[in-house]
Amino acid sequence: MLSVLIQKELKAIILSPKFTATFIICSLLMLLSVYIGIQEYQNSVKQYDAGKQLIDEGIREATSWHSVRYRAYRAPDPMQIFVSGLNYDIGRWSAINSQSMVKLRNSSYTDDPIFAVFRFIDFTFIVLVVLSLFAIMFTYDAVNGEREDGTLKLVFANSVPRARYILAKCIGGWLGLVVPICLPILLSILLVQLFGIPLSADNWLRLATLIAAAIAFFTFFIILGVLISAMTKRSSVSFLLALVAWIVFVLIIPRAGVIVAGQILPVPSTAEVEGQVQSFSRDRWATFYTAQEERWRERSLHNNQSEGDLSAVEEEKLWKYMEEDDAARKAVQQEIDEFDRKLNDDLRHRRTAQERLAFSLSRISPASAFQLAAMDLAGSDIALKSRNEQAMDLYRTEYTQFVQAKQAESGPGGGAFTIQIDTEKGVSIGTPRDQAAVDATQLPVFVPPTFSFSDAAATFLLDLGLLLIFSIVAFGGAFAAFLRYDVR
Amino acid sequence: MSELPLQSTQPMLEAVNLTKRYEDGVLALDRVSFQVRAGEIFAMLGGNGAGKTTTINLFLNFIEPTEGEARINGIVTHLEPLKAKEQIAFVSENVMLYANFTAIQNLDFFARLGGQTHYTRDDYHNVLLRVGLAKEAHHKRLRGYSKGMRQKCGIAIAILKNAPAILLDEPTSGLDPKAGHDFIELLASLRAEGKAILMSTHDIFRAKEIADSVAIMNDGKIIMQRPAAALVDTDLEQLYMQYMAGRSSELVG
Ligand SMILES: Nc1ncnc2c1ncn2[C@@H]1O[C@H](COP(=O)(O)OP(=O)(O)OP(=O)(O)O)[C@@H](O)[C@H]1O
Ligand SMILES: [Mg+2]
Repeated sequence: MLSVLIQKELKAIILSPKFTATFIICSLLMLLSVYIGIQEYQNSVKQYDAGKQLIDEGIREATSWHSVRYRAYRAPDPMQIFVSGLNYDIGRWSAINSQSMVKLRNSSYTDDPIFAVFRFIDFTFIVLVVLSLFAIMFTYDAVNGEREDGTLKLVFANSVPRARYILAKCIGGWLGLVVPICLPILLSILLVQLFGIPLSADNWLRLATLIAAAIAFFTFFIILGVLISAMTKRSSVSFLLALVAWIVFVLIIPRAGVIVAGQILPVPSTAEVEGQVQSFSRDRWATFYTAQEERWRERSLHNNQSEGDLSAVEEEKLWKYMEEDDAARKAVQQEIDEFDRKLNDDLRHRRTAQERLAFSLSRISPASAFQLAAMDLAGSDIALKSRNEQAMDLYRTEYTQFVQAKQAESGPGGGAFTIQIDTEKGVSIGTPRDQAAVDATQLPVFVPPTFSFSDAAATFLLDLGLLLIFSIVAFGGAFAAFLRYDVR
Repeated sequence: MSELPLQSTQPMLEAVNLTKRYEDGVLALDRVSFQVRAGEIFAMLGGNGAGKTTTINLFLNFIEPTEGEARINGIVTHLEPLKAKEQIAFVSENVMLYANFTAIQNLDFFARLGGQTHYTRDDYHNVLLRVGLAKEAHHKRLRGYSKGMRQKCGIAIAILKNAPAILLDEPTSGLDPKAGHDFIELLASLRAEGKAILMSTHDIFRAKEIADSVAIMNDGKIIMQRPAAALVDTDLEQLYMQYMAGRSSELVG
């Protein structure tokens, strides 16, 4: 009997006039999003390759290690086709040198702000917004629609257990919506293959898990619709309720989680921290200068006592004074640096705590759970930036050590310029090692951090589990509500 | 399921002091008792709100009785609803089937839901023809059906279930005169098959024509119940009006 009921549900969904239209729209949107994702990924790969080539050329043409401008590029990941995540918000490269810290620059959105206006509509977005609406559109009147049509009475004039009926509603609805939606998903993957995007075994694993997460999320909204329809008598009421629930789950809770976390665990802005560091350094320098003035006044008092020409003793004294000042200056600088580091460490910790709270809060909604799982799987999560910066930082140390060693090797004059002035040729600038240039073969190469399925496992398993729990709770609710449902 | 009860004297449908007070306090049914045996048609007459649909809903366990019980072939419906429902077929007051399904698809679903899995496509066509639905309509979606056509479909579904008892709530309400006439013949043939039939109707003449037993309900009570044999020489409409007038004089008094 269960199969009879399930078959009917399937048929009812597929024969309903709204099905074909919605299904086609969903499929087109999904394929379009994946197509755009492929284009963007290919662009990223092109940019990445061009960037690397530029470095190679730069090194080849460099006349000294001093003039090498090394950049580390963030590597594109084919998973970004499906989940753009923070990929386009975060800078694509960082300059690597001994003077400045690692800082990712030039995100896709800063380069092409037009994309930032509408953001990329990726596969995740289609699932998050379009598929959830699709699910709810088909199930908001699953039970009360049948009551309104009077078919519920006819069904229950037979010896049909209520549990079986509601189970069939959920399974039938699930099959009727999930199976068709697998078609555009498969076509999307085919599209990726058609464009010749190489996918590693790990990519496949992550992609399969992403699809599983998408289906789990979709399932929740299918069952949520059934739950709402089993809690209300009228489909007009359940339509509104379902819409409100959708808005709350998809639009409000994920954002509210972040806002509430911001209220509970406020984090100063980077500008605020910079301001604090600046005023601290201003104070420190001010006291340093007054102290220095004071010292010189005292020193000059000493000097005035012994008049005459600058003797060797005097000169030595002066050196000593300058060394003293230098030491004091260094101490101040160190103090300021320490303060800076302390504040920044503190900021980072507080940010991490805030992020953790925000994500925990927003996970009340399956939409957040899905989005977080998707970003974790694609490696375009919130840790994308720090993961790359850390790798680049490590590389920077390696790089500076290498360059320093090279500079030491080539002797003190290694980086010196020679300026030749010729009346006919004009001015030419060169280095003594002009011809030899630099030998880049030994230069350590930056290997972008790899991100694999197992790296993401800890977080996405939590979210995947949550999605299942949400669906089970919704089913329990639908079951309980329908046991008391008035079929008339 | 379709076998006749061992003793034809045991009622197939039985209301025993059936009482229903709705949550809002309306006493819709007040200690109603009657019996319908196999091969018998019982017609309930009565004004709007008399309690006819309530009675039928109690037999289907759509609502629970406040007091008393409804029995189907001896099974108390609110105690063993699933078992009881195996024994009944039902045609609702305003039949609405799955609008996106064809008549055949609707029939197939409900037949299999009722446990009748052996029917062939021809069986479906035949039963639809039997209730007077022209062949052209069989493969049309119900969306485009008129009220009477849906009603016929509903009756076909009830026939296909092949249950010993049939509950009909105003079955002729949407039918044209010819279809109404054919329906009466159909009921007679079902009775001949040994079905126990409980129907509510506003059609006094048809009730008198076909029923073995007629009850007039008012305000949740059966105010008159007679076997058809006792009504042969009476003008049932006049009798009905008298009873209704009695009610209004009661109300006035
Ligand atoms: N769900 C309900 N809640 C409260 N009162 C109800 C409910 N359903 C019916 N009633 C009341 O019960 C009484 C009997 O209603 P019922 O539907 O059984 O009448 P009926 O004889 O079928 O009338 P009709 O000929 O109009 O179909 C009416 O007074 C009605 O208002
Ligand atoms: Mg009624």
